[in-house]
Amino acid sequence: MNGTLYKREMKGSVKLLLIFGAVITLYVTIITTMYEPEMMATLDSFYEVMPEMMAAVGMKAGATSLIGFMISYLYGFILLVFPMVFCILRGNGLIGRYVDRGSMAALVAAPVRRSTIACTQMSVLVSGIVLLAGYTTALEYAVAESSFPGELPLDQLLTVNTGLLCLHLFLGGICFLASCLFSDAKYSVGFGAGIPALMYVLQMLANSGGKAENAKYFTAFTLFDANGLAAGETAALGGAFALLAGAVVLYAVGITVFCRKDLHI
Amino acid sequence: MRVIDIEKLTRDYGSGKGIFDVSFQVNEGEVFGFLGPNGAGKTTTIRHLMGFIKAKSGRCTIRGMDCWQERCKIQEHLGYIPGEISFFDDMTGTEYLKFLAGYRRLKTANRMAEMMDRFELDPKSKIKKMSKGTKQKLGIVAAFMHDPEILILDEPTTGLDPLMQSRFVELLAEEKSKGKTILLSSHIFEEVERTCSRVGIIRQGKIVTLDSVEALRKRHVRAYQVTLESEALARSFAADFGGSCQGRTVTVAARQSLEDIFMHYYGGGDHDERDPV
Repeated sequence: MNGTLYKREMKGSVKLLLIFGAVITLYVTIITTMYEPEMMATLDSFYEVMPEMMAAVGMKAGATSLIGFMISYLYGFILLVFPMVFCILRGNGLIGRYVDRGSMAALVAAPVRRSTIACTQMSVLVSGIVLLAGYTTALEYAVAESSFPGELPLDQLLTVNTGLLCLHLFLGGICFLASCLFSDAKYSVGFGAGIPALMYVLQMLANSGGKAENAKYFTAFTLFDANGLAAGETAALGGAFALLAGAVVLYAVGITVFCRKDLHI
Repeated sequence: MRVIDIEKLTRDYGSGKGIFDVSFQVNEGEVFGFLGPNGAGKTTTIRHLMGFIKAKSGRCTIRGMDCWQERCKIQEHLGYIPGEISFFDDMTGTEYLKFLAGYRRLKTANRMAEMMDRFELDPKSKIKKMSKGTKQKLGIVAAFMHDPEILILDEPTTGLDPLMQSRFVELLAEEKSKGKTILLSSHIFEEVERTCSRVGIIRQGKIVTLDSVEALRKRHVRAYQVTLESEALARSFAADFGGSCQGRTVTVAARQSLEDIFMHYYGGGDHDERDPV
């Protein structure tokens, strides 16, 4: 780890973190406070009118507990997509863009190992993801406690959000690997943004049911089962662990590739 | 003592691009001029030295350390000015230099102020807004601020005005007198003539000549013998044209400028014929 580089890059993350933090604050606050039995009826009627639409973004009818309600309406789209976009933007900016523009020359033309550079950049990405997940958890608990005291079991929330963190670490790993692998921004952005986005689209397809459900075998989002995590199911915990293990592999491969590749800068 | 040692370095990018069997050495305390037309392979050779790319065949070492394997250790004593300057656009010049000092873990960037004075660099503005010349000055300060013992400079005076170019030449002369080893790739003949003791000329990826500036000049001296009517006439002719006189015969030499010599190696005619438009 190089402290000076870490500080510079974290400064570069601040603006994005603030933007995504604000968006998440807005949605979490509004949606959580919407939890009301009568409101549930309204949402269920939406579901009856357009079940495919609602299911595609992960919203299911009949969630009765607060955590079930939150999983239905927050963990299908908002808390999946916004941190994912953060991973894409930051993942590409940390390595790929510098190589593409040639400013990586300033970093490698110094007595700092390439593995140190790559590890530092990875830490910056992981720090951002952890900060977003930590903030989301604190916010959800605070909003739930102030509006519906005692309704949200903290242990369930923590389990679900740890799973969510594993998912985003995995998605960040894909972006980071693409960033290390390709020297051309066209490809590092193409694959870094393309693969996670494609996976999300497949997830939407799989959710809408029917034959398309087979799409679930081609997307990492399947491994994140929020309802299963809340219930403490072994399969769901295994999925989260698989995501975490996958993330470790992706980051390790990315760092190795970066250390060995030719830099035409 | 050899500081930079390149042996049979080859990197084939296909269709005649790349470098082929490049070998040369730069000794301690020497300023070596590395010359060649655009796309001849100067930057590719330098990328190998910097450890940016791995040698496919052949090898290159700096102070006996492999340029790829031990790149991190080599960089401790190395200053580098890239051929194409690209810094972090979002920083100001001051922030960038401060960042580099921290990043390199320098206890004191002892020469930073001196270098900024010398090149009249005002680093307060954003790098994005800087002119090409100002960016180049920033690159020079960044390369010299840790007072490295080996300098690899890829066309370091691009974008500088003539005054700054001449200050840069002075700086190189000072560094040379301090015993620094310098590899200078350049297009400016005066710069090379004034600073370098030896030059290597690369063309289409191959080293075409490798010699001291003096020897290069001597080799390209053309001598003429003129016989005059009387010895008196011969003596005054010899005096006027700086020749040597033997009876009625005078030998005069036409000294080519270094630029003419380079043009010879850059190969005017046959080189241009290669790419018919």
